[in-house]
Amino acid sequence: MTHPKTPHVVDARYMEPPGPFVATMEMLDTLKDGEKMLLLLFREPHPLYKVLRQNGHDYEVELQADGTFEILISR
Amino acid sequence: MQALMAFENAPPFAAPLRFFLTAPAFAVLAGLLVAFEGPDIFASRWTPGALAATHLLTVGFMMQAMLGALIQILPVVAGANLQHPLRVAKVVHLGLSLGALLLAIGLYRVDPPLLVGAALLLGLTVSFFLLATLKALIGVPSTSPTIRGLKLALLGLAGVVGIGVVMALALAYGWAVPLPALADLHAGWGLGGWAGVLLAAMAYVVVPMFQLTPGYPARPSWWFPVAMLAMLLLWSVALAAEWSWLVRLSQLVAAIAGIAFAGLTLRLQAKRRRARADATYRYWQLGLSASIFALFLLSTVAFWPAAAEIDGWTLFFGITLVVGGFLPFISGMLYKIVPFLAWLHLQNCGQAKVPAPAMNKILPDADAQRQLLASAAALGLLLAAVLFPDWLARPAGLLLAVANGWLGWNLWCAVRRYGRYRADIAQKLAAQ
Repeated sequence: MTHPKTPHVVDARYMEPPGPFVATMEMLDTLKDGEKMLLLLFREPHPLYKVLRQNGHDYEVELQADGTFEILISR
Repeated sequence: MQALMAFENAPPFAAPLRFFLTAPAFAVLAGLLVAFEGPDIFASRWTPGALAATHLLTVGFMMQAMLGALIQILPVVAGANLQHPLRVAKVVHLGLSLGALLLAIGLYRVDPPLLVGAALLLGLTVSFFLLATLKALIGVPSTSPTIRGLKLALLGLAGVVGIGVVMALALAYGWAVPLPALADLHAGWGLGGWAGVLLAAMAYVVVPMFQLTPGYPARPSWWFPVAMLAMLLLWSVALAAEWSWLVRLSQLVAAIAGIAFAGLTLRLQAKRRRARADATYRYWQLGLSASIFALFLLSTVAFWPAAAEIDGWTLFFGITLVVGGFLPFISGMLYKIVPFLAWLHLQNCGQAKVPAPAMNKILPDADAQRQLLASAAALGLLLAAVLFPDWLARPAGLLLAVANGWLGWNLWCAVRRYGRYRADIAQKLAAQ
């Protein structure tokens, strides 16, 4: 799956925990410097945010009308 | 390994667990009280037995489970970390449990010193909880409907407990306040502003997460908690100004908002991607259907105020909303939260070397489904007992006690299995 914001997308909207967390960390490991990935979820993943901050990743969050949180994460 | 890193946000299992294991005991007490009192308890919502049973369910069961869940879930859904969560949990659990018991006994015996003691204990306990959570939430922006809902639900909690304390003191000291109208407002703040808004804020997260449904659309999710609190404030102002038409209008809009939320949740559940209907799903279906029916009854009163004077109308409404709506929502969530937390803690114990057992092995769904049937039967009997109290009051009370004792037993068995799995994992790790 690709998205206008980035070709690296984890659509975790129908995944049970801890699937979204694991899939995101796995994709982050495959990104090169300067690349971004997008995580799609129906909730805000605060535990993931904390880990991203600890590991020095930036992220931006946008809530879409259908309830999807689009979380754009920088490598 | 990364999955373990997220674990540090989680409070100790013992923090929420004490609430989850205690809550069913209060519903058992409520059932036993109904069985003991028999048909008299159905004579009116104002009988001492009915008031005591109501508060055993709403404070002893509902508030107990809801505060326990909040302690667990604040870091996960709002990124708000309570300082010393175990200490907060111990204080709140003790104050709430003792306060609920004192309140029920005080209402049952119409005992002023007990009512004053209960009001002070519950008031102080909830104030302590609110201070602890507000401290955690300071600086947390409302970036999602869930966070906004949580904050407004805490306002609802302050409202229901504040009015409740005033009412208990008014009963104890014979203050001249309009108790029936205040009781309605108290119930509105409790079931709408506190329980209803908290339920919605949690549902935005847990329904898509555990039942694999689409997400709640953003716009109504932002506005539902605001609309509910606005209507309760309007109702409060209308009561103070003695504008009965505005009281009815605010009740009507709050009821419509509740029906819309429940209807939307049913629609999302119909689109779920999990084929199997587990106990949580079935409990929510029961809770949503009963809530819609109860709120429809409430809406009817706005157009036809005399309906509330019909024998048994208010009891029927209250049982449908509390025993048919909120108890199933909470029971359904307990069946998901307790095994999930057990699994999470076992996963952490295993240090990525020994896998945790599947959640269904910690709390088998078949056990939960059987208990659900008992709960549904208890609800049916309680509603029928409003119409035929002489025949059904005592069996209904007994069945409510049995169903909730069974819920407690299922949760307790899950915790024992958790302990065994934890020992097993420690043994395997030591052998490596």
